[in-house]
Amino acid sequence: MATTYLTLTNEVLRELNEVQLTSANFASAVGIQAFIKESINRSLNDIANAEPQLPFFAVAASGGTDPFYGNVTVASVAGTRWYTLKADSSSITTDYSSIDWDDFYITTINVSGETAPFVSKGLKFITLTDWRRYLRDSENADDADTQNHAEPKYVIRSPDNRKFGLSPIPNKVYNVHFYAYSAPTPLSAHGDTIVLPDQYASVITARTRYYVHQFKESIQQAAFALDDYKKGMRTMKSNLINPQPKDMTDDRVYF
Amino acid sequence: MAASQPFSVALQGGLDKSSNTMELLTKPGVATRLSNFEISTRGGYRRINGYTQLGDGTRPNSSNEILGMTVYADGLIAASGTNIYFSQDGDSWLQINKDSVAGGGDNFSTFSGRSALTRTSQGKAHFAIFEGNTTYGEVIITDEGSGVKPFYFKMTGTGDALSSRTFFAKEITVSGTHFPKFCVIHDKHLVVAGAATALNTIFYSGTSDIDDFTSSGSGSIVLDDQVVGLKSFRNELFVFCKNSIYKLQNINNASTIAIVPVTKNVGCVDGKTIQEFAGDLIFLAPDGFRTIAGTARIGDVELGTISKMIQPVINDIFTNTVIDYEFSSVVLRDKSQYRMYYSGSAEATSNSKGITGTLTARGFEWSEVRGIQAPAITSGFNFAGKEKVYHGDRNGFIYNHDTGSAFNPEGVSTNILAEYQSPDYDYGDFGTLKTLDHVKVSLRPEGATDPTLRVRFDFDTTDRIQPPDVSLETNDPAIFGSSIFAATVKFGAAEAPLIRQPVQGSGHSNFFKIFSEDTNAPYTINGLYINYRPSGRQ
Repeated sequence: MATTYLTLTNEVLRELNEVQLTSANFASAVGIQAFIKESINRSLNDIANAEPQLPFFAVAASGGTDPFYGNVTVASVAGTRWYTLKADSSSITTDYSSIDWDDFYITTINVSGETAPFVSKGLKFITLTDWRRYLRDSENADDADTQNHAEPKYVIRSPDNRKFGLSPIPNKVYNVHFYAYSAPTPLSAHGDTIVLPDQYASVITARTRYYVHQFKESIQQAAFALDDYKKGMRTMKSNLINPQPKDMTDDRVYF
Repeated sequence: MAASQPFSVALQGGLDKSSNTMELLTKPGVATRLSNFEISTRGGYRRINGYTQLGDGTRPNSSNEILGMTVYADGLIAASGTNIYFSQDGDSWLQINKDSVAGGGDNFSTFSGRSALTRTSQGKAHFAIFEGNTTYGEVIITDEGSGVKPFYFKMTGTGDALSSRTFFAKEITVSGTHFPKFCVIHDKHLVVAGAATALNTIFYSGTSDIDDFTSSGSGSIVLDDQVVGLKSFRNELFVFCKNSIYKLQNINNASTIAIVPVTKNVGCVDGKTIQEFAGDLIFLAPDGFRTIAGTARIGDVELGTISKMIQPVINDIFTNTVIDYEFSSVVLRDKSQYRMYYSGSAEATSNSKGITGTLTARGFEWSEVRGIQAPAITSGFNFAGKEKVYHGDRNGFIYNHDTGSAFNPEGVSTNILAEYQSPDYDYGDFGTLKTLDHVKVSLRPEGATDPTLRVRFDFDTTDRIQPPDVSLETNDPAIFGSSIFAATVKFGAAEAPLIRQPVQGSGHSNFFKIFSEDTNAPYTINGLYINYRPSGRQ
């Protein structure tokens, strides 16, 4: 069972020898208890900001549409370049917090009316600068000419970070699969659970202690807590983001 | 964590209701609440004893209020309703207000068979014992009802059984139809005063002739003020009036006898509050407890208020316009303690109050008592030389005062709610946030006890979540001299254990409250040792 907001708060309170909360008075916490509650959410955001693509921040499980392993799918529209990354998001505050721009994939598989041979390939990410410099003018000139719409090769990021663009402009419907990560939902009720596995709850408490010791002007203790937090982040990142074998190959041939 | 800091407090000073919160920061040993605790003669604050029923709980006169008592011979005399009773054990009571008793005394059966000499409209009774040349002395009883003459009683004979004794009883005529309320024995005279028909007159009997107000040496003096109490102190008789105090000097010399005013600015609230205590007279004046200190200098009298520390408690007594309090007082000599009880005539036992003043090397220290209804109380040495303390309530029950571990109103064992609360401690710096680590409470239990420790931060503000209460349970202490081998003996327990109790929470200041509501043995709180960790200034 995932660690609850109350458990996490009381863990920190115990470490600091402060009065623990109960489910009854959790909502009405004041003073140091309220500060610790706030610091826990602040710590969660710190973790998400430091490593937004930790697996538990993924918006959904991967491989929902087998064999494609993205967790978000957007259908392109013929003649439309730009698509909102999160379809139901009204502003940047509710957008995905992070996108894996190196992992966009388009396919006609599962698109209504499409038959084999299907299109199925990865999209190369190019920067806005490159796109503006080499592609934008020619593609925009062809925009009204549907004859020049084509199968996209590149994915680009809009300057406001809210949309992705396809280049060339799609000539028909494609399913675009990609990976998205969301910001953690702030914990509120005492029974709310954290998205992190229990073994990494200590990273949150370390960061929280850092803030609380600062609050109490215990600078040395804050430094220790910050060190704990950094070590925890390194371990978490190592375990969850880069768990693959660390080997290298060299295909150069020497004559 | 920052390095922990120690803070030690020895509990002394008693209840302090007069200092404000900032003043109290400099007086960590005093208590802001000290209810059903007393100042221990060994230092610290001791939970008071309870009280037990006298004998089998038989009441002298049914549910009639106990109006007054005195220790006499090998028993106790109690006034209740319109009668007066004597008992050796509290199991059976002999009515002693008998009429037509023979001048040479009655034997037990004759005396028992005499008709009653009804004490019409008997009110609060006052007693005076003239030891003289008799076995147990002679007792004079007056009462504030002022409806009858003073009553005289004497018992002779040393056999344990009352049937082997001789009884004397009669009324004493003072002057015409004057029925004095107050009486005292002073230098071989019976002095009475306060009759409703002569409120400002004192009458004194003949020399060594306490039942005759016409013989040689007798007389009367008219004062300016109404008498509320009399007290013989050394070679002077102090006459307490409503708004003034006098002293009668040279009662045995007709040419030099004189009434000298002590003060015309301060009077006594109630004669029942006057006690001789610690070489002084203590009484309740409208501005608090005062003493009349007789000094070596002839004629020099020093007046002093000794209860400034509990002035708000005193003020509450006098500003309460709803309740007309009845007062009683007693001195517990072995504790160097003065106790005054007060309660309204319709107040429940649980709401009845009292004040204890203990004389220490630092002067008087005070505490409060709750749950003892004692409109009548007395202490004295009986014929065997043992000090006895009794109190009676409004339902006619009489109790052994200051004994046992529980209150026993009407024979029902009741918890004693005892509360000690310290002032807020700022540990020397009010601006620094302090996180408490642990507390060591120095207790001296007198048996198995289980008081509770409560910590409250920043004057119990609601802006902080306050920690839960914790128990300070102690085992039976090892007390040499009272152990019973192979029964309840306890070995290895400390006499005054230092109980280490981890505590939680932080604040700029905090107070400790130690309380219990049970029938466990008494305990003394000697002091506190607090370990805390200072953090930032906020």
